Amino acid sequence: MRVIRIGGLLLLASLSLAAVAQDDSSEPLAEFQVAEASGQTEFRTLDEDIQDLKTSVMDLNRDLFLLEEELLFPANTQVAVFVSMDVGEFFGLDSVQITLDGENVANYLYTAREVDALIRGGVHQLFLGNVRAGDHELVAIFTGAGPHERDYRRGATLVFDKGIGPKYVELSISDREQKLQPEFIVTEWE
Amino acid sequence: MRSTHKLILELVRGLILLCATGIVFAATQLSGERAPDFVLKSFVGANTRLSEYRGDVVVLTFWANWCSDCRAQLSDIRELNVLHGDAGLRPLSVSMERLSSSLREDIASLELGFPMLDDPGLEVSRMYDVESLPVALLIDREGVVREVVQGYERGNGEHYSEIVERLLAE
Repeated sequence: MRVIRIGGLLLLASLSLAAVAQDDSSEPLAEFQVAEASGQTEFRTLDEDIQDLKTSVMDLNRDLFLLEEELLFPANTQVAVFVSMDVGEFFGLDSVQITLDGENVANYLYTAREVDALIRGGVHQLFLGNVRAGDHELVAIFTGAGPHERDYRRGATLVFDKGIGPKYVELSISDREQKLQPEFIVTEWE
Repeated sequence: MRSTHKLILELVRGLILLCATGIVFAATQLSGERAPDFVLKSFVGANTRLSEYRGDVVVLTFWANWCSDCRAQLSDIRELNVLHGDAGLRPLSVSMERLSSSLREDIASLELGFPMLDDPGLEVSRMYDVESLPVALLIDREGVVREVVQGYERGNGEHYSEIVERLLAE
């Protein structure tokens, strides 16, 4: 009986010692885990701040670009010329040259990728400039490969009246099925 | 007046970007700068724009038929193209000579496997400030000139290969 009592006391003592040891070893581990978690939180917050700052910078850059365009090309003198294509079976576009009142203002070589983008519905801003109010003559010369892969060069002319607002001109290349020839149309956007 | 406005806007934009990113702008050397964009017609008639190669590693060389070192350099680059073409290497060569039928035949006989571009007015050559031949510019996937190699020596092919492999791995 005495042996059993002593054994029980010894067992109880060893268990309590083990519990104390576990408590002692868990304290630095818990502190480390708390420190690591707060560090990760801090990094996450810093990363979010950086991303927000980058977004703000990009938005500001865009606004500055728009402001620059408005300052350099105000509406009362602005003229913009755009190029578009519809299908393009009868004409392989190579380049477009623009003269405005006899002065060469734009000359653009189109790559295969750019032509593909135009055929898919893209519109290219070929020229952006300033002209005074009044009548002006715009001549567009299209160079490329025509039917049967022959060299093809055609011009289109537009006389327009520059008013108070911005002037937008579209150079459209399309297929005229009836004549199996390409068609070059110059139109003003209202 | 408009030029003053433009200058002010550019300065403001540059200051904002500088403060935000902390980037120190490099000197006006081409190495480390974004390669100036251009579009030229190749000898087979295809319009080629440098910026469309963004995402690939470009070796841009300037060449003339009378330059014997240029031919040796092209030979090295042709071998590089065979080795690394599938991995995204895109060589481009700009001819500073006036295009003629004999030159066209000569270039075709080289069987380069990459575009030879015609620079009739030497506009692109001036843009890249080419003063001597041959010259090779190694441009990374972001369009930045990483190294400019002036002249040609035996062993340049290995040098190109080391740089190309490093750029392709980025």
